[in-house]
Amino acid sequence: MSGKLPLEGIRICDFTCVWAGQSATMYLADLGADCIKVENPYVWNPATRAAAPVLPAPVAAVLPPWMAGHPNGDPGPRPWNNSPAFIHVIRNKRSFTVDSRRPEGLAIVKRLIAVSDVLAENLARGTLEKLGLDDAVIRAVRPDIVILHLPAYGRTGAYVEGRGYGAHIDGVAGSTILRGYRDSAPGTNVQTFAGDFFVGMHGAVATLAALRHRRRTGRGQVVELAQAECSASMFPQAALDGAWNGRAAGSLGNRSSEGFAPNGVFAARGDEQWLALSCRSDAEWAALVDFLGRPAWAAAPALAMAEGRRAAEDAIEAELAAWIAPRDRDELFRDLQEAGVTAGPVLSARDAAEDPHARQSAAWRRLDATADYPATEFPAPPFTFSHSDVGLRTPPALFGEHNEYVYRELLGVSDEEYARLAADGHIATTYAPEVLGR
Amino acid sequence: MALSSEEWGAAADGGGVSAAALDGVTVLDLTAHIAGPYATKLLADLGARVIKIERPGGDSARALGPWLHDEPGPERSGSWQFLNTNKQSIVLDLKTPAGREVLERLLPRVDIAVVGHTPAVAERLRTTPEALREVADVNVLSLTNFGWSGPYRDYALSETALYAMGGEMFSHGLAGREPLKLGGVASLIQCGAMAAIAALGAVHATEVHGIAQRVDVSLFDVQLNSIDRRSSAILAWRFSGRVNARPEAAGPSTAGGLAGVFPCADGYVELTASAGPYWRRFAEMIGHPEFGAPPWTDPAWLATPEARAEIDVVLYPWLLERTRAQIWAAARGVHAILAPLFTATDLYGDPVFHERGLWEQVEHETLGAFPLLGRPYLLSETPWAVRRAAPRLGQDTTAILAELGYDRVSIDELLRTGAAA
Repeated sequence: MSGKLPLEGIRICDFTCVWAGQSATMYLADLGADCIKVENPYVWNPATRAAAPVLPAPVAAVLPPWMAGHPNGDPGPRPWNNSPAFIHVIRNKRSFTVDSRRPEGLAIVKRLIAVSDVLAENLARGTLEKLGLDDAVIRAVRPDIVILHLPAYGRTGAYVEGRGYGAHIDGVAGSTILRGYRDSAPGTNVQTFAGDFFVGMHGAVATLAALRHRRRTGRGQVVELAQAECSASMFPQAALDGAWNGRAAGSLGNRSSEGFAPNGVFAARGDEQWLALSCRSDAEWAALVDFLGRPAWAAAPALAMAEGRRAAEDAIEAELAAWIAPRDRDELFRDLQEAGVTAGPVLSARDAAEDPHARQSAAWRRLDATADYPATEFPAPPFTFSHSDVGLRTPPALFGEHNEYVYRELLGVSDEEYARLAADGHIATTYAPEVLGR
Repeated sequence: MALSSEEWGAAADGGGVSAAALDGVTVLDLTAHIAGPYATKLLADLGARVIKIERPGGDSARALGPWLHDEPGPERSGSWQFLNTNKQSIVLDLKTPAGREVLERLLPRVDIAVVGHTPAVAERLRTTPEALREVADVNVLSLTNFGWSGPYRDYALSETALYAMGGEMFSHGLAGREPLKLGGVASLIQCGAMAAIAALGAVHATEVHGIAQRVDVSLFDVQLNSIDRRSSAILAWRFSGRVNARPEAAGPSTAGGLAGVFPCADGYVELTASAGPYWRRFAEMIGHPEFGAPPWTDPAWLATPEARAEIDVVLYPWLLERTRAQIWAAARGVHAILAPLFTATDLYGDPVFHERGLWEQVEHETLGAFPLLGRPYLLSETPWAVRRAAPRLGQDTTAILAELGYDRVSIDELLRTGAAA
């Protein structure tokens, strides 16, 4: 590898929070941008570094694992450095702290902006403006900067004051109404966050495009990505059926919106062993019928074509459920695939971590232990380049880990000034006592 | 060859103010169906020239609905129209030597080829990254199901199987029932977006460092390593030995407060009112600020069935007497964490999204005008735009062959033999 990274030399002043924003800058950091996460020891950003700044083990234990499955079940004194929910989106980045609400802190932020190529943010509407950092100020400091805003519903229009996390934005984007059990009202739907990383990916794409334009013309620009609008692109078929045909689709459960039949998730032998199965074509159905040993119900000519199978979907699903129930999920998966039928086990987090193919191919890299977590296999960028090392290069930035780098190397702060800023609480590696309730 | 670099808009032309961000980038698109075409759509909509090679008979997405005014037809497919805006279509039979030669003439002229062939197909058609990079030193992005090695290398995926294996299906749904997929084909489209990032990264590396390279993205890996709570759930398992599972019931999943989908007069809303400021805003929203005072400030009280019962008798009537629009307006007024569940017709009928320009009116040569779900982002200097509707099957075959230096006679021969169409 030549070691040359696509975004070498590009610096990001990163005000993003939660998943949507933090994933956008993560993909850019993966591609080699020097991403500087701007953190404030006096302000706790919800759902950005951990579920809460103080998280006793018994509280963590009743929160969902994805949110609070900290090392050995104990978040310890610095949950923000070992949260499974969030530290993975801080990989390949640097962290520095400053209280940007105070004039001398704001001055530091502006010095960072002056040496940045991109400023990214998805803070609640008005937050940056309140700090005194509207677009005009930012562009006065750095005229050719690319500014990436990721508001929930846009920066204009009647919904600007709408507040929400991924689950709420998914609701408006049309995701929530399209999922769930066919026999249940949407009220039984549990929260998912399908849009968060999708939004982050688009934030990265738009920024990459804007950076290219800047390289060719010297001009920066402002990118506005309304999360709900972007997330709607996950469901173009449903959206267009609404626009073109006036149809308001509900959930198909596990049936296919592409017309595949059968298409479902079935219980296999054992506890919580589920198998997804799709016949994506008449040929795959024929292969399945052969695999089943050509029983009379399956060999019926009416089922040879997808249309006939869709008409008999309930019956087919019942037959398949009975056939799959006593069989081993993983054997069936391999055997069906070898026979030419699309199937896949529903992998729990544990199954996924132990899956033989994933262990070999997934972009996981072992991180060394820190004071906050043990050595761990860690998610890396899901793309590989033959010449550029776009992988996991540096572990998730600990809170304030790169203060020395940012203040001294990047901004050229003197020893005297550094000492003063540290004494005034700008430079820290932990949150202020008021945030920690101490 | 007959082409000047201007005609091809070579990437290295430098200088000049361009109307589109990716002006001058040329992409050879060897993808079909959904994931790959979404990646190249993102590039095309930002101004890249995307030359899509369709197999004889056309991309399988042309056979997918919804249909314009419910009337089927290969140009009337909503899947096709959405996923292929701003692209050109050339139909080639890559199994024929003459079709192959067209591919080999195209390759040196592009900045990146995006290839969605499975390893088996790519080996048969000689479209593996190695084979294509032997023809020309250009970027080749390979988008596969499971990568190029490992036990599942040659396995097939559907959107459902992909989400089952790669995504966080296991925890979606209710305990005691089967896990659930997402709506539509979301997991495939998510993977397309990731491939677009990788493609643009490669283009940057070429333009800045002069390197062209092979880029690999697999659908399985994209789901495993990013989307929704998947990375978190896997990391949580490694850290704590806890497995993210389907809950017993929908509703508040955290210690205290409300979270989940609630019914109202004309549909449903998604509400999060966890202990703290969100709870106080919620109390204000329903016009009962007293719920923001003790004992309601205590998360432990909020978690009790008694508290829930007391809230429910106030909350449900309040919700059921109001429409989603009224409730959302009330929520926005106090910054409560709430949003309506929109259907497709809600999304299309919504005046605010229309005013913001979410829906794009597209002019199609034969179908007339129709609305299309539009831009995912607004760029102030280089606007996203549908400059051209999705191409008709083989719409650009002849023009592209001519650009490549084929004369009339050889073009006719390609068409006559079916190497092109």
